[in-house]
Amino acid sequence: MLSFLSARQSGLEDPLRLRRAQSTRRVLALELNKDRDVERIHGSGVNTLDIEPVEGRYMLSGGSDGVIVLYDLENSSRQPYYTCKAVCSVGRSHPDVHKYSVETVQWYPHDTGMFTSSSFDKTLKVWDTNTLQAADVFNFEETVYSHHMSPAATKHCLIAVGTRGPKVQLCDLKSGSCSHILQGHRQEILAVSWSPRHDYILATASADSRVNLWDVRRASGCLLTLDQHNGKKSQAVESANTAHNGKVNGLCFTSDGLHLLTVGTDNRMRLWNSSNGENTLVNYGKVCNDSRKGLKFTVSCGCSSEFVFVPYGSTIAVYAVHSGEQLTMLKGHYKSVDCCVFQSNFQATTKSQLNPAFEDAWSSSDEEG
Amino acid sequence: MNRRRRRLASEAFGVKRRRAPGPAQADPLRAGAGSAREAVEALVRLFPRGLFEDALPPIALRSQVYSLLPDRTLADLQLKELQEQGEIRIIQLGFDLDAHGIVFTEDYRTRVLKACDGRPCAGVVQKFLASVLPACGDLSFQQDQMTQTYGFRDPEITHLVNAGVLTVRDAGSWWLAVPGAGRFIKFFVKGRQALLSMLRRAKYRELLLSELLGRRSPSAVRLGLAYHVHDLIGAQLVDCVPTSSGTLLRLPDT
Repeated sequence: MLSFLSARQSGLEDPLRLRRAQSTRRVLALELNKDRDVERIHGSGVNTLDIEPVEGRYMLSGGSDGVIVLYDLENSSRQPYYTCKAVCSVGRSHPDVHKYSVETVQWYPHDTGMFTSSSFDKTLKVWDTNTLQAADVFNFEETVYSHHMSPAATKHCLIAVGTRGPKVQLCDLKSGSCSHILQGHRQEILAVSWSPRHDYILATASADSRVNLWDVRRASGCLLTLDQHNGKKSQAVESANTAHNGKVNGLCFTSDGLHLLTVGTDNRMRLWNSSNGENTLVNYGKVCNDSRKGLKFTVSCGCSSEFVFVPYGSTIAVYAVHSGEQLTMLKGHYKSVDCCVFQSNFQATTKSQLNPAFEDAWSSSDEEG
Repeated sequence: MNRRRRRLASEAFGVKRRRAPGPAQADPLRAGAGSAREAVEALVRLFPRGLFEDALPPIALRSQVYSLLPDRTLADLQLKELQEQGEIRIIQLGFDLDAHGIVFTEDYRTRVLKACDGRPCAGVVQKFLASVLPACGDLSFQQDQMTQTYGFRDPEITHLVNAGVLTVRDAGSWWLAVPGAGRFIKFFVKGRQALLSMLRRAKYRELLLSELLGRRSPSAVRLGLAYHVHDLIGAQLVDCVPTSSGTLLRLPDT
């Protein structure tokens, strides 16, 4: 470590190298943080978490009772033992609260003035953070499973929405209406994700075992369907042209956008090359997945070899993305884990639990400050 | 922090410390084989040939190879290379989409020829072994592939199915199969269930590996306890916990 610091100081090495080495070391040392806690507001399971990308300070959580809570993760007191307080929340008494469970929340990617939430009550609501009012509501015919707004796009403000119907809806924030539909799946869409590398590339995962990559400007159809056998027909009958042998539950792009990870109910996780849709055939072993709706998992960013954190029963399994090796299981929750998010400045993941609701912060044992 | 994470963390900083290799593994079953080829050879030696009167080629399973080679991606890659070189064939065993059997091509060839010796389909089978096997390394064959590329007519394909070399997959495609493998699959599935029930009945649903191997093998387990244990570990149907008295096999909670 000291040699890294002196090399950085004298200009022999890139400053990024030290950051990456230290990030990797901290991710590898992840354990349940005894000093940091998150205030318990939710009365039932927490379905989704999101940390804002600008500063990494504020976190949103959406629960299965429709409640949305905003937390401040920064430790401004001088005490080592700290509980992250809830700044505000959209509780059951709020006039605009969702009627049923909130499935996905996401901060507006460019600042914290706005966030979006989608729920089983067939709506997607856009909230103003300062006044905590719903600024806009999009209504759909079917329950909404997942939505995502592109973190990198500057030329469009489209939100991709996956519902129980087979069509992916794209809603435009600027105009306030649905702009167009992507047709191609045959069953419900369980997860959607925009590519962090290209503005217009969208990946969608559906219960019909298929994962499609779309360019949303193209009206005719999807760019690619991911095939787990890479076109070799000799493997199995039913799994022709499918990404998994069961429903595809979760999607996550790596932070550079070059690879895509998918998990399915066949208890497998696969890594795909996002430019040509090829299955890289990295074998992660059995990744238990009995979630009937989407599974939200996350990839680290800023480490020398990326790690993926997947909820596995009541633990989080950590795998190295490119080698497939299982590094560790993070144990600490009492019930099943639903989602986890990674904060790149502190290399902490927070995850949440089904019932009773609990959010835990995990960080490396030598947390500074 | 466990050992693996510490090693990776020190690698991240570029500090490589050479440590003397630890004492040899206490469990003979868990001593890792170097490469996929050696793993398959070791597993093939575990296969009970006498049980099938030497009519079946020794079959190893892909999950057993994973138990001997913990790095699955590397194991897959090496098995694929061996398959492309033509040294092994991968056979689809019917009971599970993921369960692939591995046989050495030579063993397969000799056993198949012996099985169809003297029967009317012998000529067709020999033609199949000579022309199709070296050319196409896949698990299954399509109709047009068989008729056009290799020149088999429909009655000949029926002979091959009767001889047990091909199994019907769906209209117009066939899996490669081992003649007489039905008995093996039956014993295998029964043995797997018997071993899992042994673990289920144990106190706390866990058993030390050495104790499990030392127990009298139940009547349902015909292929040998070691054979099944490798398969259970590799298929992740049991969790392997390292303890100071050796490896502990525990049934997962989920």
